[in-house]
Amino acid sequence: MTRYIARRLLLAVPTLAGIVVLVFLLLHLAPGSPVSAMGGESGRRVSGRAAQEMRRLYGLDRPLTERFVKWVGRVARFDLGESFVDRRPVSERLREALPYTLELNGLALLLTLAIAIPLGVEAGGHPESAFDRISGAALFALYSTPSFWAALLLQTLFSVKWKWLPLYGVASDPAPSGLAGLADRLAHLILPVACLTYGSLAFYARLVRAGVAEARTADYVLAARARGLSRREALWKHAFRNALLPLITLLGLVLPGLLSGSVIIERIFAWPGLGRLYFDSILSRDYPVVLALSLVGAVATLAVTLAADVAYAVADPRVRDGTGP
Amino acid sequence: MGALPTPVPTAAPEPVLGYIDESKKRVPMEGGVLRRRLVGEPGTLNAVLQSGLPEQQVLQYLSRNLLDFDSRLNLVPGLAERYQVSADGREVRLTIRSDALWEDGSPVTARDAAFTIHRIVDPAVASPVFKPVFEGLVSVEALDDRSLVAKFREPYAYHAMAFVLPLLPEKRYSGKNFARARENRAPLSDGPYRLVSWKPQDAIILERNPRYFGPPGHFDRVQFRILPESSVAYRALVAGDLDETQIDESLKERATRDPDFNRCCRVVEFYNLDYNYIAVNNRSPFFSDARVRRAVTMLLDRPAIVRNLFRGSARIISGPWAPDSPGYDASVRPLPFDPAGAARLLAEAGWRDSNGDGTLDRAGKEFDFELLVSAGSNVGRQIDEMLAAELARVGVKARVRPLEWASFIERIDAGDFEAASLAWSASDPNPDPFPYWHSSQWPPRGLNSGFYRNPEADRIMEEARRQMTEDERIRIYHRLHAIFRDDAPAVFVTNASAKYAFRRQIGGLVTSPIGFTGIWPGPVGWWGTKAAP
Repeated sequence: MTRYIARRLLLAVPTLAGIVVLVFLLLHLAPGSPVSAMGGESGRRVSGRAAQEMRRLYGLDRPLTERFVKWVGRVARFDLGESFVDRRPVSERLREALPYTLELNGLALLLTLAIAIPLGVEAGGHPESAFDRISGAALFALYSTPSFWAALLLQTLFSVKWKWLPLYGVASDPAPSGLAGLADRLAHLILPVACLTYGSLAFYARLVRAGVAEARTADYVLAARARGLSRREALWKHAFRNALLPLITLLGLVLPGLLSGSVIIERIFAWPGLGRLYFDSILSRDYPVVLALSLVGAVATLAVTLAADVAYAVADPRVRDGTGP
Repeated sequence: MGALPTPVPTAAPEPVLGYIDESKKRVPMEGGVLRRRLVGEPGTLNAVLQSGLPEQQVLQYLSRNLLDFDSRLNLVPGLAERYQVSADGREVRLTIRSDALWEDGSPVTARDAAFTIHRIVDPAVASPVFKPVFEGLVSVEALDDRSLVAKFREPYAYHAMAFVLPLLPEKRYSGKNFARARENRAPLSDGPYRLVSWKPQDAIILERNPRYFGPPGHFDRVQFRILPESSVAYRALVAGDLDETQIDESLKERATRDPDFNRCCRVVEFYNLDYNYIAVNNRSPFFSDARVRRAVTMLLDRPAIVRNLFRGSARIISGPWAPDSPGYDASVRPLPFDPAGAARLLAEAGWRDSNGDGTLDRAGKEFDFELLVSAGSNVGRQIDEMLAAELARVGVKARVRPLEWASFIERIDAGDFEAASLAWSASDPNPDPFPYWHSSQWPPRGLNSGFYRNPEADRIMEEARRQMTEDERIRIYHRLHAIFRDDAPAVFVTNASAKYAFRRQIGGLVTSPIGFTGIWPGPVGWWGTKAAP
């Protein structure tokens, strides 16, 4: 087992190196530079000499290989460098934005599961029933609704017309304290969480539905029914378990995405998360920040993949012996 | 079913776009919170390191300039109570007010000013806004606590404008790494407001600075919300979460039809010194002949752009200035929209369809080029599409190509393009065309990205820079304007109005040809007529 994990870890190293080299090259070879992007569209144009000075300040006058080696050397010492835009440590900027993105995406994922699983089990328990067809159609309609459009519509209705919910941001200013403060934070979460949730419902609900529908007529479910379990119990305790395995695999793939944030939703709701930081950093060619975020994403994906591999190996001896599927 | 007649657009009344000055009205209320919008997160609040509009908008409240522009664009005292330019135009002397204080109570001195300028010219400091105006600096020196003298290599009519300059407190920066100092995110104020908090990607809050030497601002607090999406800012305005935002043509259209908007808000529109133009590469085989460049100008239906794209609130221009710039000579009429005349000019220049493929050619080269535009610019793209359509009719192929901003502007700055749609944005009233059109300023050295060269225009531009009498200088620019019209170094398109939306309770607005932000007191003079709901 230890050997299996060691082998997997060793394999992860070249993968990570490949990702890092690729991102570094793509970023630095793409047209545009931190100097040309400075100040965005409202930025002042600077003359050739001033631009040359700034390239030197950012170290952009050095050869690409030298920049790469320097960057890798720093990363190996857990130093992600400093942002070109505000000259603060990249780790500080990441730390600021991370909790907001985790909060938003984490809640959205929990809510998605809380809605999608019962829907999927119910629909899978009665395939081709009216409930199955209607919920299926509704979920696909939601799935095909673009999130920016829905976000603006929800804002217009709930914030502008009815004034029930705040339009954007993470909290009111000044923020109320105590319980009222918590309620204020939650109120600010409702619309963005809703927008992140509705689109992925179909995905999870249909996955659960397929598993449950398949298991519904399996012998062990019929046996459970014969033992006197109610239809509901048989579905949840036995058929749903069958659907749980692919769901967990899928969740493993989705978890690293919790870090990446959603650019569109974070921009529309002015949410100070990682998605916006990533997007702004790409536009301003803030190489250290883009590299750091890509690196964090790659490490998280590899870690989760590794964990999943290990979990499979624990569950299935054929995997770790290298003889299995 | 019979065909319905196409509705004919009724002529909209010509908008009245005079400058607004509400500063003389009685202030109905002191106090309250002003809620403004930033489109992006400022990278710094170090005045020397600032690079874009969000930073300037916040710093205007925190840092007074040595000199300022008033709403009529005259240079007026700021931290400096007076200034003097030597007769040879090489030296500027300024005297700082005795009552100007930093937020901590220490005086603002000439040494702070000298320190600030030394940092700007330091090659190890990125100061994109101020480096260009101090490029010819020879020395700067504090003679005593209050007197500053700056010497420049060349005489220049606009050296004094360089001192529309915020200052940094020397003592706070000494011994620190300038680019990384804590002060860059917690600046020491010498202006009417001071920083309370800065939540990244969220909000910046300011409150009145009790140590400020001038009259206090009308609002107790100013809150900047960082709101990247314009359509959300519009909703925030109508919902009462925001007091002002800049809007574009399409949001203005929407606002005029939206009763919810009109109940609570108003559109404020005025002409500034910005303009749209299409830069062409004067060195390229397509555009090296002035007849071709004139023909391209005559193929752009600018009256239709004013009518349809800007709904009447734009003015056609005939040179590299907006009509309200002192450089602009209103008697230089723009070239007409004249496709037939343009076709003749192209033929005169030797462009004919000799191989019968529908595209003009000359010496075996087809007239086929890329027309670049920034992907974010709707106006630029529509202007390009209109031009490309007219060009196609006379047998010239222009392929419109949108590019992401940083890659777009990199190609422009390098002069690596045939033609590109651009917007000129004026942050000061300096009409000097030298940095953008003089042949010594070709890339990579300078910003004459279209590689324009005309010996006569060069001579006139040099002469104007040395001419210290304003009336004389304006006469020189007007001579230049006629050359620019006929030489057409670029396709000058229109000066469109600047548009903002305000909650109705905000008053005291004063507009200027450089907008709200570049003038004093600008937004600092705004007031509220009732507390925000």
